[in-house]
Amino acid sequence: MLIINCPYCGPREQCEFTNGGEAHVARPSDPEKVSDKEWSEYVFFRSNPKGIYFERWVHSHGCKKWFNAVRDTSTDKVLKVYEIKDEKPSLADLENSNLTTPSGEPEVGSGNFTVRKI
Amino acid sequence: MSAKDNKDSPYIAFHQSVKFTFDGVKYKGFKGDTIASALIRNNIKIIGRSFKYHRPRGIYTCGIEEPNALVQILSEYSEPNTRATVKQIYEGLKIESQNRWPSLENDLSSVNNLLSPLFSAGFYNKTFMKPRGFWKKVYEPLIRKAAGLGKPPKPFKTKSTQLHHHVDIVIVGGGLSGLLAAKSLAKTKLKVLLIEQDSYLGGILKNSNKISTIESKDRASWIKDVETEIEYSKNIKVLKNTLATTYNYINYLIAIEDLTTGMMPLEGHADQILHKIRADHIILANGHIERLISFRNNDLPGIMLAGSFEKYIQRYGVIPNISPVIFSNNSSSFSLIKILIDLNCKPQAYVDSRSGDKIESSLLDIIHKENIPLFTNAHVEGCDGKKQVEEISIRDSEGIITKLKSKMLCISGGFNPDVHLFTQSKGVLTWDDKYLTFKPSKSFQNTIVIGSAGGLFQYSKLANDIDSKLSFLNHEPIVNINFELNESDNYSIEKLWETKHEKKSRWSKSFIDLQNDVTTKDLRQGIREGFDRIEHLKRFTTNSMGTDQGKISSINALGIVSEILNKKVSEVGTTIYRPPYAPLSFASIAGRSTYNFYDPERKTSIHEWHKKNGAVFENVGQWKRPWYFQSYLEENLDQAVQREALQIRKYAGVLDGSTLGKIEIKGSDALEFMNLMYTNNFSKMKPMSARYALMLGEDGMIMDDGIISKINDNHFIATTTTGGAAKVLSHMEEFSQTEWPHLNVFMNSITEQFCTFNISGPKTRLIMEKVFKHIKFDNESFPFMTFNNFTYLDSTIRILRASFTGELGYEIYVRPSIALKLWEDLFRFGKDEGLIAYGTETMHLLRAEKGYIIVGQDTDGSVTPQDMDLEWMIGKSKKDFIGKRSLTRSDTIRSDRKQLVGIKPINQKNIIEEGQHIILSSNVKPPVKMLGHVTSSYMSPNLGHSFGMAVIKDGKNLIGSRAYVSSSSRDAYEVEIMKSVFIDDENKRLVS
Ligand SMILES: [Zn+2]
Repeated sequence: MLIINCPYCGPREQCEFTNGGEAHVARPSDPEKVSDKEWSEYVFFRSNPKGIYFERWVHSHGCKKWFNAVRDTSTDKVLKVYEIKDEKPSLADLENSNLTTPSGEPEVGSGNFTVRKI
Repeated sequence: MSAKDNKDSPYIAFHQSVKFTFDGVKYKGFKGDTIASALIRNNIKIIGRSFKYHRPRGIYTCGIEEPNALVQILSEYSEPNTRATVKQIYEGLKIESQNRWPSLENDLSSVNNLLSPLFSAGFYNKTFMKPRGFWKKVYEPLIRKAAGLGKPPKPFKTKSTQLHHHVDIVIVGGGLSGLLAAKSLAKTKLKVLLIEQDSYLGGILKNSNKISTIESKDRASWIKDVETEIEYSKNIKVLKNTLATTYNYINYLIAIEDLTTGMMPLEGHADQILHKIRADHIILANGHIERLISFRNNDLPGIMLAGSFEKYIQRYGVIPNISPVIFSNNSSSFSLIKILIDLNCKPQAYVDSRSGDKIESSLLDIIHKENIPLFTNAHVEGCDGKKQVEEISIRDSEGIITKLKSKMLCISGGFNPDVHLFTQSKGVLTWDDKYLTFKPSKSFQNTIVIGSAGGLFQYSKLANDIDSKLSFLNHEPIVNINFELNESDNYSIEKLWETKHEKKSRWSKSFIDLQNDVTTKDLRQGIREGFDRIEHLKRFTTNSMGTDQGKISSINALGIVSEILNKKVSEVGTTIYRPPYAPLSFASIAGRSTYNFYDPERKTSIHEWHKKNGAVFENVGQWKRPWYFQSYLEENLDQAVQREALQIRKYAGVLDGSTLGKIEIKGSDALEFMNLMYTNNFSKMKPMSARYALMLGEDGMIMDDGIISKINDNHFIATTTTGGAAKVLSHMEEFSQTEWPHLNVFMNSITEQFCTFNISGPKTRLIMEKVFKHIKFDNESFPFMTFNNFTYLDSTIRILRASFTGELGYEIYVRPSIALKLWEDLFRFGKDEGLIAYGTETMHLLRAEKGYIIVGQDTDGSVTPQDMDLEWMIGKSKKDFIGKRSLTRSDTIRSDRKQLVGIKPINQKNIIEEGQHIILSSNVKPPVKMLGHVTSSYMSPNLGHSFGMAVIKDGKNLIGSRAYVSSSSRDAYEVEIMKSVFIDDENKRLVS
C-alpha cells in the first residue's frame, strides 16, 4: 500500500484516498462543437503507461480535496503531488525519478521494453 | 534407540512440566517445548499422514520450514495446519493429527499409495478431465475424502489487533548478524525495529554448537550482554515471537506477532498482533535454511535435517536419538558430531558423498578418534521400514550396498540463504557456484542483506560485511570480532540432489516436495510432457506449492531439472516466492473488523417503532430499512405487500424515507452548478418549488435521480437514492473542484440532519389537516411540487408536496429529535383514516404501477434518459450539462437500443419473473434471439394481475405488439408490450 502525501494534510495511508484516473484530460470547453470522436476521447480513452503517469487522487477519507500526483507505475513510487490549479510539472522536474522496473522479470513479455519517459 | 534430554539447554524449563494431549493420549513435556520437541521427548515418531498417498510422516525439521509435522489445535478454534515445530505447548493443549482415517496408525487411504499412477504429476490437470461427468460423482467425493490437509476451524470472533509502525530501520532476524547490526546501530539516533520469530534472540548461537566462543564469551552470555545493550539503547525496539511474512512495495513490511506463545489464549485478550511496518531501510538478516537430499523413501519418520537435529539438542534440550546415522554432501556436520560426543552419545555412522581427500581434516580427525564408521564417496541409497526408518542402505563408490539397522537418519544437502523476503521485495538473485545456491545480488528497494541471508557463510568475514553495508548509516563499526569456532570456517559442498536408487516396489518413492507429495519422478514426467519451464512445471506437478512453499526442497528441484534439461541452474531460474512467507490467518488480517465491527449499521430515528410494529428489515447499503410490516406473526412478504399496496391506494400509507440522501447546495453560483450537474433546467423554476431530476455520467448514462428543491437561486436541496448518496456528493465535489473551480458553490450532506416521511394516498390531505391544524393543504394554497417551512412543536419543519406512489402525497422533513413524536402524531390522527406504515417492497410495487423507474433496478449504467422514456426531463435549451454531449453520440441515438416498456401477461394467471428474457416466440430452440429482459416485476393487487417493466430493443416502436417471456419453471408465455404506466396515466391523482 502506498503512502500518499496529500498536499493539504501530509503523508497518509493509501486507504484514505480514492484514485480518480488520469490527470490533465481536459473537458472540451464547448462540448457541442466537438466531434463524436473527440468527445469519446475525453470520456473513454486514457493512456496506460508503464512508467511516468500523471493521475488524480482525492483524499476521500480526509480533507476531501482533489489533487494531482505523478507516479511511476513500474515502481509505484509517487514522485510528486501538486494542487489541481498547478501547472503540469515538466519532466525536467522529475529528473531524479530514476526509472526502474521490478527486477527479475524477463525482458520479453514483461512489458519492460516500453518503460520510457513520456 | 530413543530420545534423551539435554538438560544443559537454557531455553527449556526442566523443572516445569506441562501436560498436553495428542490424538487423545496424554503426554508430558516441559515449559518452552514446541509440540514437536515434546513429542520427540516422548518418542512419538508419526505425526501425520501425507497429502496424497497417506504415507506416515514425522518431524523433518525444527522450525517454520517444516513440511510434514502439521497438526490441528483442538483446544482453541480448531486451527488446522499448525506447525508442530513452531507452536509451543501449554497445560491443557489438545492437538490432533491430520489427514488420517480412521486412525494415524492404520490409515486405510494409504492404499492411495498403490493407486499412485492416478495421483502422479499433473493429476489435477488431466486425470479428472475425462470421462465427462465423473468429476462430480466419482473424483470429487474421493479426493475430498482422501486428499488435503487439516479441517477448517470453528467459527470464532478474532481477538487479533493491528499496529502501525513508522521507523527508520527494520532488522529482520535476531540471530548473529541481526544482533551485530542492532548493536552497531544502538548508539545512533535511528529508530530501529528488530524482529525475531523465536522467543529468544541468538539464531545460530542459540541453535547450534558451531561457534564455541564469541568475543571471548560463551554464546549464551554474549547474547545476554547484547540484549542488555539493546534494551538500554532506547532507539531499538525488539519484537519476539514475531514473523515477518510479507515484504511489499515502498519498504512496507507485514509481521505477525504471537502473543500467546506457550500459553492458552486468554479470554478478552488479543492473541496476535499484525504489525504493519513502514521503514526507510530494511536489513534482512533472516539467515539460511537447510535443504534435503532425495533418495528412496526419503520421507519416512526418523529422517530429519541434520541442522534441525542439532537445534533440538541445543535449543530444545532433547537429543532425538543417541546414535543417528549422518548423511551429508558438505562440511557442516562437525558441530553435530561434536555435541553428540560431548553428551556421551555417538553417531552410528557418518556417510559423506565427498571423497576422502575432499573432507576437512578436522572432521576426519574426530571421526577417527571416536571410531565412528565412515563411508566416503558414498550415498544413502534408500531407507526401509514399515512406519518409520528401520534399515538404511548405503552404497559406496563401487556400488556395494551396506545395510545398517537404525531408526534415525540425519541428512544435510547444503544451505540456502532464506531469500523469500528478498524476492518478495523484487530483488534479483544470482547463482553461487561455490555454495550451489541462489543468493541475493541486486536490491530493488532500500534493502540490505547481511550474513548468511546474503550468502555469506564465513564468520571471519561477517564484521566486514556488516560494516561495509551499514557505513552509510554512520553506524558504530564492528571492525573485528573474534570467534572461536568448533568447525572449519571454510564451508564446502559437493553437488548432490538425488542419489541413485533401486526400484524396489511401488511403495518406493523419492520425494522432492514432502508436503505436496511430489516425487522426483513427477518432475521427470512433467518435463517429458513438455512442461520444461520452471513456472509451468511447478503448476503441473504442484511442486513447492504447499503452505511451506518448498522451503527445504525448491532449490533441489531446480538442480534436478537443470540436470535433466542439461542446463545451468541459473538458466533454469527460480519460481517466484510469493507472500506470505508462512501462512497468515484471515483472523489476523481481519483484526477487529468482523461481525458488528465489519460495517456500521445505520438506523433511522423511527427504528424502534418499526421493530415494535412488526417490521421485517432489509439492508440498503448500511441502512436498515423496513422491508414490509407484518400485521400478524405468520404474514409473509407477498401477503403483506398485497395488503399494504391495496390499503395505500384506497386510504393512506407512510414510508420512513429518512435514509434518502439529502445534499444542501449553496453559493452565488449554485444555480449554474445545478444546471450543469442535472439534466433539468432549474433557471425558470420558481423559488420554493421542486422538480424530479436526473443525474447522468459524462457517458450520458443515468447515474441517479431525486427531487431538487429550490429555495432560491443560491440555495438548493437535492435528494438522492438511498444507496447513491455518497456517490452523488463526491461526484458534485469532483466537478466543482476539478472542472469548475471558478464557480462559487459549496455542498454538504444533510442526510442525517433530517428525517423524511413520505405520506401518500387519497386520505392523506385529511390526515395532514388534522396533524397540522394551522396549515392549509388545499390545491390552491399548496400546489403539487411546491414546499414551505412550517412550525411544529416550536421547531421548523419543511413539507413538500410530492409523490412516490402516484397518489396525492407529501414529504415531511423534520429534525430527528422530534421525528418519532411526529410519526406517532401521524398515526394518532391517521389511524381512523386507514393510515398504515409500509416498507420498501410495497414502495417499489406502487412506483412501478405508476411507471416510476428505480435507478439501479430498471437502469444498469447502460441506459440513457431516452432509453427510459425520460426525454422530457432533459433541458434541451441548456448549453451544457454533464453527459449532454453523449446523448447525441452515434451509439446513443441508435433506434434499436434497449428501451423501457411495460409488459403484462395475456393469460393473467402467468406471473412474470424478474430477469427473464423477452423473446420472439414460445418455441425455444438455440440460438434464441433475445429482445431484452425483465427489469422488475410485481403482482399488483390494484390491477389484479402480474405486470413488469422491461428493456427491449426498439421497445418504443413495439408498444401494442406481443412478445414472449421465458420462465424458470415452464414454457415461455405471451405478453403484451405497452407503455410503462399502469395506473393513472393522466396524473389526476397526483394533483387531486
Ligand atoms: Zn488531505
